[in-house]
Amino acid sequence: MVSSSLPVTGDPRWYRRAVFYELLPRGFFDSNADGVGDFEGLRQKLDHLQWLGIDCVWLLPFYPSPLHDGGYDISDFLTVAPDLGSIDDLVALVEDAHRRGIRIISDLVMNHTSDQHPWFSESRSSRDNPKADWYMWADDDHGFADARVIFCDVEPSNWTFDQKRRQYYWHRFFHQQPDLNYENPEVVDAMLGVVRFWLDLGLDGFRLDAIPYLYKAEGTSCENLPATHQLLRRIRAEMDAAYPGRLMLAEVNQWPSVVTEYFGDGDECHMCFNFPLMPRMFMAVRREQRFPITEVLAQTPAIPAGCQWGIFLRNHDELTLEMVTDEERDYMYAEYARDPRMRRNLGIRRRLAPLVDNDRRVAELLYGLLLSLPGSPVLYYGDEILMGDNIYLGDRDGVRTPMQWAPDRNAGFSRADFAQLYLPPLMDPVHGYQAVNVEAQRRDPSSFLHWLRRMLAVRHQYPQFATGSLEVLPADNPSVLAYVRQPGATEVPDAVQPGLDSAAGAAGGPALDNAPDQAGGPGGAGPDAAVLCVSNLSRFAQPVELSLGRWEGCTPIELLGRVPFPRITAKPYSVTLAPYGFYWFEFEER
Amino acid sequence: MPPSPSALAGLVVPYLQRQSWFLADMSRYDRGVWATFQLADLEIVADGRPGMASVVVTVGNRPFHVLVGWRDAALAPAMLGDHQGAVLGMCDDGSGEVLCYDALADEELSTGLLAVASAGRESAKRVRLVQSLVSHAALVYDERLFMKSYRVLEPAPRPEIELMERLDEVGFQHTLRPIARWERNGRDLALVREYIPGAVEARLLALTSLRDLLGRSIDDDQVRLEEVGGAGGDLSSEARRLGELTASLHLALAEAFGVLALRDAGAAPGVAIRVHGDYHLRRVFRTDAGWIVGGFGDDPLIGKLGEPDAPREPRFASPLEDLADLSYSLRQVAAEAVAAQPAVTRPRAERLAKAWERRNRGAFLSGYLGVEGVGRLMALNRSEAAEAIKSLVAEREKPA
Repeated sequence: MVSSSLPVTGDPRWYRRAVFYELLPRGFFDSNADGVGDFEGLRQKLDHLQWLGIDCVWLLPFYPSPLHDGGYDISDFLTVAPDLGSIDDLVALVEDAHRRGIRIISDLVMNHTSDQHPWFSESRSSRDNPKADWYMWADDDHGFADARVIFCDVEPSNWTFDQKRRQYYWHRFFHQQPDLNYENPEVVDAMLGVVRFWLDLGLDGFRLDAIPYLYKAEGTSCENLPATHQLLRRIRAEMDAAYPGRLMLAEVNQWPSVVTEYFGDGDECHMCFNFPLMPRMFMAVRREQRFPITEVLAQTPAIPAGCQWGIFLRNHDELTLEMVTDEERDYMYAEYARDPRMRRNLGIRRRLAPLVDNDRRVAELLYGLLLSLPGSPVLYYGDEILMGDNIYLGDRDGVRTPMQWAPDRNAGFSRADFAQLYLPPLMDPVHGYQAVNVEAQRRDPSSFLHWLRRMLAVRHQYPQFATGSLEVLPADNPSVLAYVRQPGATEVPDAVQPGLDSAAGAAGGPALDNAPDQAGGPGGAGPDAAVLCVSNLSRFAQPVELSLGRWEGCTPIELLGRVPFPRITAKPYSVTLAPYGFYWFEFEER
Repeated sequence: MPPSPSALAGLVVPYLQRQSWFLADMSRYDRGVWATFQLADLEIVADGRPGMASVVVTVGNRPFHVLVGWRDAALAPAMLGDHQGAVLGMCDDGSGEVLCYDALADEELSTGLLAVASAGRESAKRVRLVQSLVSHAALVYDERLFMKSYRVLEPAPRPEIELMERLDEVGFQHTLRPIARWERNGRDLALVREYIPGAVEARLLALTSLRDLLGRSIDDDQVRLEEVGGAGGDLSSEARRLGELTASLHLALAEAFGVLALRDAGAAPGVAIRVHGDYHLRRVFRTDAGWIVGGFGDDPLIGKLGEPDAPREPRFASPLEDLADLSYSLRQVAAEAVAAQPAVTRPRAERLAKAWERRNRGAFLSGYLGVEGVGRLMALNRSEAAEAIKSLVAEREKPA
C-alpha cells in the first residue's frame, strides 16, 4: 500500500494540509481482551487510518487519571494509564505510525491537575510545604469574582473549600481539578519538563486543553491574559529550537477575533480550533440559508503565515453552543436537542449521524463543507462510518462508546466479556454495530466510509483547500453557498507531490475507479489554480446563477468525477444542484 | 472633434422611441407630446475614439438621459456583440464615420463612466450591467461600487439621494453608503454607492422560509398554527432583526429631518417623521454583517406634461405606515408562496402561511419596539401597535 500521508520528515508546516483524526485510546481497539482499548490495539488498527487517508492522530488523554472528567483530570503527567499499556507500547505505536507517514499528537492539560495528583496531595497537606504555592489557595471564596463558571450545570463556584488545609482552592472546571498556579516559576518549569518528556518520546505535538485560563488576575474575566500569551511564546520558542516541526494546537473556545491572539505573530500556537464555525454549519443547513456560515467567515480575521485553523463537525465534547447568541442556542436546542438528555452545559451531546437524523445526504454535505472551508479538518473516530450515540450514558460518555469494527461480538472492539467493557457498544437496530461497522462498509463500495475516503483523497490533491484564500461569491439564492479557494498571491505552494501523498494514488478498490490520474491538468487547472465550491443547503433542488466572468472561456471540471461542465461565458453561469448537493470544480482552459 | 450636438440629438430621439423604458414612462401621455423633443443639455465626457457624451433631451417638461458612445464604424459592430439593439446610428466626428450606440453596452466606456460620475475619485477594472429599469440602469464596478445611471431625470436633489445623504450625515450605518453623485445643470444624472456582494433581498429569504414550511410532511391535524415557524427554516429571528433595523432607520430619519406632531389624529396618536415611504421586502437586504436598507424607491414624479413639476412634498407620516408596508409585504410574499402550490394542497398551505405571517409580523414588531429610544416615535404599547398595523394592512389589501 502506498503511504496514505505526508512524509513525516519534510515540511515543518505539515499541519496546514493535514487531515486529523481524534480518537479515544480507550475506545478504539482492545488488544488484550480486558474490555478497554489500548495503544497496542490502536497500533493494530493503523491500517484503517492509513487506508482512510489520515495524516495525524490526536489522542484523547491517556495519562493516569481518576476519570472524573474523561481523563482531563490527570494524576501523573509523566506516564500512561496502566490499562492503556506501557510507555513502550506508546513508543511502538508512534514508531509504527511514523513509518506510515502518520503523526501522533496528544492532549495536554496545563491548566489543572487531578486532585489525586501527588502535587496537589502535597500542596493541600499544609500551608508551608514545598508545593504549598503550586495551586491557588485563599482564605475566602471572594477572589476573581468576575470569572464565569464554565461547568455551570454542576459547579456552583470556582472556589471549593479543602477540609485538610482549611482553605479554598481555585478550579475553573470540576472541583476535582484544582488549577495550577503559574505565578510560581517552579510550576512553569515542571510543565516545560512535561512537554520535553513527551516530545523526546517522539510525539508530534500537543492539543493544548483549556489554554485561556492559565493565568488569573483580579478584576478580569481570568481569560486570555497577557501572561498566558507570554508563557505560550516561551513554550513555542523552546519547541522551535529543540523540536522543529512539532505542533501546538490550542483549544480556545472563544470568538475568532480573540482566538487569533493565540497565534501571536506566528510565535504562539500553530493551530487553533475555530469553534463558532461548527454550530453554524448545522444551523445553515437547518435554515436552508448560507448566512449563519458567511457571517462567521466574515468575522474570522486573517491569521499569520504558517498558522492554520482546526475545524470539525463533532468531537468528544458536546456540540458547543457557547459561541452563539442565546436566541441561536434556543434554536439549536429546538432543532437538534429536543430531548433534554441531549443537552449538557451549554451544548448538545450527540454524534454527527443522529444530529442529522441519519440523513446521509446531509452528512455528505456537511463533510463537503468541512473539507473545503479554510482550516485543517479534524474527524472524530466513528464518524467515518456514521456511528450513533447513546444519550442515556452519563456525562459525555454517550459519544465515547467503542469503535464499531465488525458485526461480531462487542462490535469487534474487544474479546472481553460484555460486562467488562468500559462502555457498552451501541446495539440499537439503526446505529448499532450490526448495522454500522467498518467491516461491512469496507466491503460496500457505495458506503459512507468509501465516499469519505474518496473525498479525503481529492482534498489532498488540491492544497488550495488547505492553504488557499477564501472568497464567497454572491448568489441571489440564499440557499446556495458558493466560494472560491485560491492560492494567495504570496502563498508558496507547499511541496506537494500529486498522486503520492494521498490515498487516491493507491491501486484501491472500486470506489477509486474514477480517481484523477494527475492533480495538475492542462490550462490553469491543478494545485495552483482556483477551486470553486458550490453547495445547496436546502432539502429541495436549487438553481443558482454565479458571476464567473473572471474565468470566461474556461471549462469547469467537477473534481470527484472529472466531469466537464458547460464552458463559462460572459453571461451569469447557471448551476443546478440536487437536494443537499454540492460540487467542487476546477477551471480548465480548453 | 466629437460629433456635433445636433447630430447626436438627432440619433437619440429615434433611439428613445424604441426603448421599452421610455415607452413605459410615456405611455401615460398623449402621443401628441412626443413631437416636442428638445435637446436640453449635452456634455462630451470622453473625446476621441471611443468617445462618449451625456445627452439630455426633454419631451414636454420631462427630461431623459442617454449616454451615447461612438467608435470607428469598422470596429464598433464586433465590439457590440450581442448588443446590436444598442445601436443609434452613424454620424461624422470630423475625421470620418463613427457608429453611435448606447454607451452602457460598451464595457470600456461604462467602466470609464465611474470616473466621470465620481469626478475622478473612483476607478474600476470591471463593470457589469445588473439592471435596466424605467427610472435607471444599474451597474456594478469591481463588485465594490454600485452606480445608478438615471434615465428619467428629476431636479436635484432626487428624494432618494437627499435621504441617503442626510442619513449618512447622521451616521446611519445600515445602508449602502453614498460615495459620489453626478449632477449637472440642476439635475441628478447618476449616483454611486458602495456595493455589498452577496446581499440577498429579504423577499428571497422569506420565500426560503415558506418553502421549508410548506414543503414539510406534517399531517394536517398536527399543524399547530402557533408553532409552525418554530423550527426548520424559521424566519422569525431574522424578522426580529429586521424590526430592529427599521427602528434604527426611523430614529435616524427623525434625527435628520425632525419630528412633527401628527395632525391627523384619526389614525393613531403619536408623531410624524419622514418615513421611508416605500418599505417592503425588496427594499431590505441580508448581508453577512446583518440587515441593510438597500434603496428608497425611485419612482419618477408623475405630473402633467407641459407644466412645471410641482416640488415634491417630503413625506411625513406615522412610523406605523412603514411598519404596515412591510407587514403587508409579508402577507404578499406568503400569498405568493401559496399561489405556487398545487390547488389541492392550497387550503393547507393557506393556513400555514397565515400562521407564518402572524409569527413573523409579531417578531418584526417586537424587534422594532425593543430598540431603545423608539418610544419617542410611538406612544402605543405593543398590542395597540399590533392592532393599528393590522388595520393599516387591511386597508392596503383593499382593491384601489
